[in-house]
Amino acid sequence: MQTQALPAAAPAARTLRLRGIAILLAAAVLIGLVPYLGSYAIRVVDSVLIYTLLGIGLNLVVGYAGLLDLGFVAFYAVGAYSYALLASPQFGIHLPFLLVLPIGAGLGACFGILLGIPVLRLRGDYLAVVTLGFGEIIRVLLNNADALTNGPQGVIGIDRARVFGIALSRPVDFFWVLLVACLVCGTLVYRLERSLLGQAWAAIREDQDAARGVGINTTRAKLAAFAISAAIGGLAGVIFAAFQRYVSPDSFSLNESILIVLIIVIGGVGNIFGVLLGAVVLVLLPELLREFAAYRMLVLGLVMATLIVLRPQGLLPRNLGPGELLSLLRGRRRGSR
Amino acid sequence: MTGLVLQQCVNALTIGAIYALIALGYTMVYGVMRLINFVHGEMFMLGAYVSLGLLLLAGHGAGGAGPLLVAGIMVLVFLIVGGAGVTIERVAYKPLRNSTRLAPMLSALGLSLALQAAVQLVCGPAPITFPSVLPSERLEFAGASMTLTQLGILVLAMLLMGGLQLFVGRSRLGVVVRAVSENARTAALLGINVDRAISLIFLLGPGLGALAGLLYASYYGVMTPTMGVVIGLKAFTAAILGGIGSIPGAMLGGLLLGALEVLGTSLLPIVTHGYLGTEYRDIFAFAALIVVLLFRPSGLLGEQVSEETMVYKSDY
Amino acid sequence: MSFELQNVTKRFGAVAAITDVSIRFEPGQIHAIIGPNGAGKSTLVNMAGGSYAVTAGRILLDGRELQGLKKHEISLAGVARTYQNIRLFDRMSVMENLEVCLYPQRTTCILADVLGLGEAGRREQRLAHCRRLLDRFDLVPFAGVEARNLSYGRQRMLEIARAMVRTPRVLMLDEPAAGLNDAETRDLKQRLRHLRRPDLIVIVIEHDMDLVMSISDHVTVMHRGQVLFAGTPAQVQENPDVREAYLGTEDELDAIRSLAQRRKAERRLRQQAGAV
Repeated sequence: MQTQALPAAAPAARTLRLRGIAILLAAAVLIGLVPYLGSYAIRVVDSVLIYTLLGIGLNLVVGYAGLLDLGFVAFYAVGAYSYALLASPQFGIHLPFLLVLPIGAGLGACFGILLGIPVLRLRGDYLAVVTLGFGEIIRVLLNNADALTNGPQGVIGIDRARVFGIALSRPVDFFWVLLVACLVCGTLVYRLERSLLGQAWAAIREDQDAARGVGINTTRAKLAAFAISAAIGGLAGVIFAAFQRYVSPDSFSLNESILIVLIIVIGGVGNIFGVLLGAVVLVLLPELLREFAAYRMLVLGLVMATLIVLRPQGLLPRNLGPGELLSLLRGRRRGSR
Repeated sequence: MTGLVLQQCVNALTIGAIYALIALGYTMVYGVMRLINFVHGEMFMLGAYVSLGLLLLAGHGAGGAGPLLVAGIMVLVFLIVGGAGVTIERVAYKPLRNSTRLAPMLSALGLSLALQAAVQLVCGPAPITFPSVLPSERLEFAGASMTLTQLGILVLAMLLMGGLQLFVGRSRLGVVVRAVSENARTAALLGINVDRAISLIFLLGPGLGALAGLLYASYYGVMTPTMGVVIGLKAFTAAILGGIGSIPGAMLGGLLLGALEVLGTSLLPIVTHGYLGTEYRDIFAFAALIVVLLFRPSGLLGEQVSEETMVYKSDY
Repeated sequence: MSFELQNVTKRFGAVAAITDVSIRFEPGQIHAIIGPNGAGKSTLVNMAGGSYAVTAGRILLDGRELQGLKKHEISLAGVARTYQNIRLFDRMSVMENLEVCLYPQRTTCILADVLGLGEAGRREQRLAHCRRLLDRFDLVPFAGVEARNLSYGRQRMLEIARAMVRTPRVLMLDEPAAGLNDAETRDLKQRLRHLRRPDLIVIVIEHDMDLVMSISDHVTVMHRGQVLFAGTPAQVQENPDVREAYLGTEDELDAIRSLAQRRKAERRLRQQAGAV
């Protein structure tokens, strides 16, 4: 879709710019309202943001590199347990929150590469199953390595997170932390998608063999996707552990991995705004239908299957993402890079 | 000593036979559609639940059902769950035949979640005891013992697998199935009703898986709504181990995996001086899966899978 | 500069697709490989491009052994190819199809690109290079169009353009004329002629005899996995073995020739009728 910014379209450009600004203003207003909500409502928003962060990470691998990772929760767990073990009475180590953030992300990336190296030569279906197996292995290890992780009882009494001396204790504190994390990671992922690496991922998605044929080192490109997405997962885990101040293997089941996949599938594959939408749906729907809580998994599973059959690209198509918003702000309709 | 080893062999064979039965379903579907049927584990689970339901209807929920009744229930379970398999294929996979390769997998995942949740809603999440449908006398030999249930499972599994192999190898429908699995497009051009062949596969595969569920539940005496998840993964490992797409491969893979698991879990505490115990049982299958896929993705009896085929599926 | 296949053999299980084939390609020439179906032509290209592993023998580019290297390494060494079934990046635009081939090898470059450091200038250079290439293939008006929306003939052109983006030293075209109509084939002939450069080896696999004989400098005829004959187009046409194995006996040739002439006449009549 080639755009020509026609000189005669100056008025049209202004309208588009206004539209973009309006969207930004609306978002700012919504964000500004959050601290005034009740404690429970803020917790819900926090939940949405954590899932959005996880979704942003997984979207990198699924939506951009086109690899179905069904064990994503493993990186989430790695991050969470890294904070749990480095900032709690468990081993008597009490590293500060801001220090563990990069450690958790880094550990996640390491595990991502560890998983990626053997797995990347596999075809889509095999890759999905192996990543699923990997997620399960991590869960079993966490559940049974009692000496290290306290097994099924989990780690309790995790340190309260402190940022520049301010203790993060209320849900609204974590709202700001999560918001910043989402914005930072979202921007990073967006820039990645528009970069040469992102183009390489798109080519790999289209035709991996032809991509190799034109000189793209597909293994390295896919490994990069794995590592970065795992790092984001680890980051989310650290924040989660600091928030809940309690981790146990139960939070990191296979179902969680599938739920995160669901977020992407519902919201829109390959689209950061879609991830947000998916997280909103995934968290809000059960909240609104509280009486039907028991039916949550059933409905989600059916929704997933139905959506895939009827609208496989999700609610928000790939090209209605941040790029579109930026184009609006620049006064162009649908700008190519 | 030999008694212990023999005992472990018996256990390995029993669980291996069950894995093999489930693996058959995976391998058949994969052979035709290059699709990993994630719902297959749920077919296994449904087999157990539907069997109990039928037993309850017949008034034998606590055991004591005669062999004729058991055989009848087996046939019914096969048909009911097989029918469910056919329906699922029509509704959730067929519309996605021309979509991306990820789409059917995601659809299957969703259905898998939904099925587990549905069973949980109807029957509750707690484990339910399953009566033994086979007599519980034991046979003693050479220091080991084997319950009739175990023997029954072995015999039944062998019969079923042999029957399937004969069917696919000799009967006319079997040839059709094989043709479709080789090259569906050409088969269609030759006038073969590909849809019907696929439906048949989705009847047989899930049907066998359901019977495996019945056998598993009566062997271990308990069933839960989530039993299909891990077992399904293990059976998939078995199918890969033996060579995905190969029916004898699935049988071999199942037995091998059973042996690996039993051997591994009995040796592990000894080797690690009690540090690592039998809770790590599940990891064996997953580790085996990763190792096989890394070093010999074609498995033991599968076709030589070149990197070309593994990495890019070309349509002729 | 030279590109050589030395005693190359390829076996698929028990089937020997190519047996002991040795060919030396010279720069500045268009080299055609012809032969009946199953002769092993595509297998050769697949091996040279790294899609298939070589069972035995060597593939040398300026003395450097390429067999056994990974596909992308071979591409980076300067061997580019097109495919029999067009394999473009369908949902990417024409410009993106070219641009993505300039993917840098150094991680620092990618990092700089992501963080936006000093990228603007380099990007302009890349785009300018791609635009120049598009211009040579008359594809500039379609720069923003998704590859899958191009006409078949233009898709072929795009594939060739894409193969040229990194200025390869060896260009292998696998049946570039397949599926093209007469006008497009004539266009292809022109462009192939213009590809001749002293620092480029062009290898064409084709069935279209007219195309092959009119543009190639050197022809290798393959039959049943082995080289049957190699020489200039004129020599190939005269060689009796080639004629028998590939072009058929004299009677068959006469029949084919008269049939071809009749078809040509019919087409001309239809065009004239259509033009009215």
